Amino acid sequence: MITIPNSLLREIYDHTEVSYPYECCGLMIGTMGQNKIVHAFRRCKNLNTERAHDRYDMDPLDMLRVEREFENSPWQIIGIYHSHPDHPSRPSQTDTDRAWPDYSYVIISVHKGTVAGAQSWVLNEVEKKFDEEPLITGDSK
Amino acid sequence: MSSITVRIPTPLRSLTHGQAEVKVEGATVGEILRKLDAQFKGFGDRILDDGKSVKRFVNVFVNEDNIRDKQDLNTEVKTGDTISILPSIAGGC
Repeated sequence: MITIPNSLLREIYDHTEVSYPYECCGLMIGTMGQNKIVHAFRRCKNLNTERAHDRYDMDPLDMLRVEREFENSPWQIIGIYHSHPDHPSRPSQTDTDRAWPDYSYVIISVHKGTVAGAQSWVLNEVEKKFDEEPLITGDSK
Repeated sequence: MSSITVRIPTPLRSLTHGQAEVKVEGATVGEILRKLDAQFKGFGDRILDDGKSVKRFVNVFVNEDNIRDKQDLNTEVKTGDTISILPSIAGGC
């Protein structure tokens, strides 16, 4: 299960809508455990300019920056969000091929520039596929 | 011998018994990563190709520098340096 406060989720949605028709990505920071809780997020650059409408490659320097920013905090990078412009919020084969364990992958479907839905997924390493995890939204940080 | 701080990303912390940071002594990135592999079972399989290079979908930084822009595993390190191991994040729809 992953919990994202409504206010943060709305800001993440804003990122996906302003980036439309291109994919965007970012990092979610918070606490791990049976119930991951997102406390912050950071937008990251999509370095894939040739296929930005259906691919993303997160800038590793952005990830380094976020890792450094939170290294002395009780929080850590707990997942990645990215958008699927005019595609459902289900992982693609590309998503599965490039997935890492333990992270939550929140995929946001953006239809004609407006968020149509979001789901969160965690890699099942044994079966080499994603399992959906409950995405809970709350009212406060 | 230099004492180096190695930052471990979330997906590899299950291999380091939950540690986010490990101190290792060594003179090059390769030496340090091989020591981590000896210390933590399965660590090398995740980040190294046959122990000779860093896997394609892993980024290793010494401070702010990607070792691919330096001398890869032969990149030298000194006391006080921080090595950050970061997964390469990508996908698509």
